[in-house]
Amino acid sequence: MSAPDLTLRIGAMTMNNPVMVASGIFGYGDEFMGLADYGELGALVLKTVTKEPRAGNPPAARTAETPAGMVNAIGLENIGIEALLREKLPVALTYGTNIVASIAGDTPDEFAQCARLLDSSAVAAIEINISCPNVKKGGMAFGVDAEASSEVVSAVRAATSKPIIAKLTPNVTDIAPIAKACQRAGADAISLVNTFAAMVIDVERQQPLLAAGTGGLSGPAIRPAAVYRVWQVAKAVRIPVIGMGGIWNANDALEFILAGATAVMLGTVLYADPAAGNRVLAGIRDYCERRGVTRLSDLIGAAVTQL
Amino acid sequence: MSGDQPPREAKSQSQVHRVLAEVVESERLPGDHHRLVLHAPIIAQQAGPGQFLHIWCHPPDEIDRPPCAAILRRPYSISRLRSPGKVELLLRVRGVGGRMLAAKSPGDKLDILGPLGSGFRYDPSLRTVVVVAGGSGLAPVPFIVEYLTGRGARVLCLAGAKDDEAVPFGVARPHSGRATLPEIEALGAEVTFVSEAVEGILITQVVELRLAEFGDEATGMLAIGPRAMLKRLNEVTDAHIPLQVSLEERMACGVGACRSCVVPVRSGDGHQYKTVCRDGPVFDAGEIAWELLDT
Repeated sequence: MSAPDLTLRIGAMTMNNPVMVASGIFGYGDEFMGLADYGELGALVLKTVTKEPRAGNPPAARTAETPAGMVNAIGLENIGIEALLREKLPVALTYGTNIVASIAGDTPDEFAQCARLLDSSAVAAIEINISCPNVKKGGMAFGVDAEASSEVVSAVRAATSKPIIAKLTPNVTDIAPIAKACQRAGADAISLVNTFAAMVIDVERQQPLLAAGTGGLSGPAIRPAAVYRVWQVAKAVRIPVIGMGGIWNANDALEFILAGATAVMLGTVLYADPAAGNRVLAGIRDYCERRGVTRLSDLIGAAVTQL
Repeated sequence: MSGDQPPREAKSQSQVHRVLAEVVESERLPGDHHRLVLHAPIIAQQAGPGQFLHIWCHPPDEIDRPPCAAILRRPYSISRLRSPGKVELLLRVRGVGGRMLAAKSPGDKLDILGPLGSGFRYDPSLRTVVVVAGGSGLAPVPFIVEYLTGRGARVLCLAGAKDDEAVPFGVARPHSGRATLPEIEALGAEVTFVSEAVEGILITQVVELRLAEFGDEATGMLAIGPRAMLKRLNEVTDAHIPLQVSLEERMACGVGACRSCVVPVRSGDGHQYKTVCRDGPVFDAGEIAWELLDT
């Protein structure tokens, strides 16, 4: 039997396989270089940048380990889009796979300015981060509201012909209308979930453990809740859905695909296993071969057709 | 010292390796301490003092299984190089990760990243190096001392802890004279040890009392331990002695990507954040924005 066809498209971006690295995990691409064959993966999403550099939240602490997960409150510390384009993107492109930029801003116009700068760059797609729970302005403030999400996506759509991925927050009552609004505004794909709003208390100090007070939970602890939201969004939109939230192995990735995701992103697991993407990809391939699946796309949503 | 050596020799992160290291020794020590010796030739060959390893505490062949506890790697500074091709770690066993590592037996394998971070920089023009270490900062002292004495420097080690239990080495208290750490003395350092419990004095007070000894241009200071200790050393040396400090912070990735472990450093009129895991853990004391650093 020939090797299974794992290829897919997100707008004009073609991917060899559905395994991606999520934004915020992988820095700008240079930090993990040499620790695994990242070029083998379908796409790598770089850390979110804004128009101007940002310092992020105060340190000590920005991260806390929790059962089967971690809570972070980095607060979009970043070097700014110009430094990304000048210093980091050329290095990331040497991986030889799709490089996706992630952008954020306080206003739709700031998103658009970043998108305009990226339009003439070699990035394969642009992810719009309207779901960061760790900044006061922008971030999740857009992603919890269909109209505000739509405004950001529209502004970016007008600024670029690159494929646009809208990254959504799970911290809403009903995620489907927000996904639909992003689709209507011109998004080529929806990615979800960003982290779940979370809090850890230091009982000895009687203070929140994170300096920012609150943060976002990621890791295997959120996986079933993330699969649920991917299912909700996948049945609501026609554009591809990229699923993420606690994926640790190929089985986890296949759960997302069978619930409706076209592709998956890996996050927290990379801190444990920098080669997790390659491991997940090999496992998906094995599964397809073992089950006689010739095209992975046949599995998208296959578990939920009766629901 | 060879004339064509660079003025400041630094071991900073160039190539990070991920290796499966075999545990060759696993020994419980007094207090909550534990010694692990790992066979990791490429890391032993490239590591410098002050650098650390990022260790996956679960069995490497179970990495496909999501763990409930210890989902992140654990950073441990390298305590000593053991030839051939071995690195020694001295752990203080407290949390779940440490307990898992302390339960390893010879023959077990560990998935480690390393050597990580930018370690202590050695300036060959220094004839005397004062190594100030407190509490958990004592673990990497053997590596630092061996490295320096091996390059011909005179090493004064001023070590302090809450009590003897907090020290991963044996403490000797001769009837007359000062307390010392024989294992560190055996590596060629002149050692002074004080504990709050017995001597009732902080190591920073010892430094202050002996400050006049360290005044000449050929003396430098390396410090590792609690932030309050480092901050005080920065004040008492007052930029008259070149001081490098090794900082700790909660980390996730270990390679500078996630920005969890940042500390404020001076930048122009303001400050910026640098990562303890990659830019550090060792910084020049003058670089740190101490007034913004949590202690």
